[in-house]
Amino acid sequence: MMDTRLIAILPGPIRDLLQGVVSNVRDQLEEIRIRRERPIELIFGQTSRFVCSNGELTSHPAKAWKVNAQEMDKMTNLISQHSLYALEEELKRGYVTITGGHRIGISGKAVLEKGEVRALRDISSFNIRIAREMKGVALPIIPYLLGQTQLLNTLIISPPQCGKTTLLRDLARTISYGNVHMAGKKVAIVDERSEIAGSVGGIPQRDVGPRTDVLDACPKAEGIMMLIRSMSPEVIICDEIGRPEDAVAIQEALNAGVSLITSVHGANLTDINRRPTIRQMTGQGMFHRYILLSRSKGVGTVEGIFGENFQSLEKVETPC
Amino acid sequence: MKIIGALIIIFSLTMIGFQAASMFSNRPKEIRRIIIGLQVLETEICYGSTALPQALLHVAKRVRGNVGELFYLASGFLTHYDGLSTSDCWEMAIEKMWGKTVMKKPEKEILMHLGKVLGQSDRSDQQKHIRLAAINLQSEEEEARSDQKKYEKMCKSLGFLGGILAVILIY
Repeated sequence: MMDTRLIAILPGPIRDLLQGVVSNVRDQLEEIRIRRERPIELIFGQTSRFVCSNGELTSHPAKAWKVNAQEMDKMTNLISQHSLYALEEELKRGYVTITGGHRIGISGKAVLEKGEVRALRDISSFNIRIAREMKGVALPIIPYLLGQTQLLNTLIISPPQCGKTTLLRDLARTISYGNVHMAGKKVAIVDERSEIAGSVGGIPQRDVGPRTDVLDACPKAEGIMMLIRSMSPEVIICDEIGRPEDAVAIQEALNAGVSLITSVHGANLTDINRRPTIRQMTGQGMFHRYILLSRSKGVGTVEGIFGENFQSLEKVETPC
Repeated sequence: MKIIGALIIIFSLTMIGFQAASMFSNRPKEIRRIIIGLQVLETEICYGSTALPQALLHVAKRVRGNVGELFYLASGFLTHYDGLSTSDCWEMAIEKMWGKTVMKKPEKEILMHLGKVLGQSDRSDQQKHIRLAAINLQSEEEEARSDQKKYEKMCKSLGFLGGILAVILIY
């Protein structure tokens, strides 16, 4: 069943249309793409389909029902609660997190000020990414991350849409609650893109565990430093590192004796070593475990777990 | 019996006069309340970045009388009618409450105009529009006050004297 909080931001006609879509497709939806004057595209599994006016799915765009300008405006109103000014930051970044933790990517015409994007107007596309919680996917991985006294610093390597964020979130939750392998620890999440905890108004919409502090919408490098100083975490979790300042902050965290679990875009180990900042980090032995994800056996397939010298540790299968 | 009738006529016409006078004295008061409401709204929007329905609700709590009710209605419409545009909701609230207020056309136009832009742009832009509306309302308020000075007393005495005149004419 689709999340009611998600349905609430859809304008009436689109809401009715999606109610007409076969329920097993609705349940597997990953993305709903809504574009001005164009058909609604649904992404589920590896397929993409357009929606006809009777709710049937088609791969032929000309047969599909088209979204008009009025509905786009209504949707903008619904997402912003009639208050575009409250979304200034979000429009600058190009996405909004709504209650329920779903993310809506926005594109349109950029308004510039001194060469920087100040806002978006004439909004032409929405990409609704439906958030799914996969409780328990992290549990089989935990034994590989246990060090002598603390968790090992871990880098998750994954192409987009392979369950990177889902795994990070579940790791946060599993570590925070404690599990059969270890007692619960203090976890802090730097959630730069509000993806891991999906906070709305400072409240995480996802279960990230009882011992977890979330620093929402904060740049990673700065956020890691702030958390070390203020929250004394045992584990810091953040998403998608890659900038030079991230390396400095991560070094700082390691010196402070805080374990770090983070992720990076990439298809394999050689891929990430081509990126200078990441190579510098891996070269210095900052990470002790590498987890490689793919979607070869469905989203979130763990291809392998590797040690600090990229030696493969025993492969675990966690289809989910 | 005649005396009682005469008294009733005088009393009722005096009351009509007072009623007319109160229109003149309430108009500046209501405009003032709107201005105060807009100032609260400006703070909510520019410094609190509060969503419009919530912001209007806060305003409604701070402003008394029919004007507060107007803001309350607008907030309610915004939350309940998810198909309607912001300006439609705002206009509906104004249309519904306007009969209960004593304000006149110029104030209504200023508010309707504000409704077209409310919530539709960034904070600095919203601030400009709200301030502009407040300034326009201030000039209306001054005019309403001068009207009040001119006509309030006149209405009261006119009602009473009219009552006496009617009594004299009847006899």
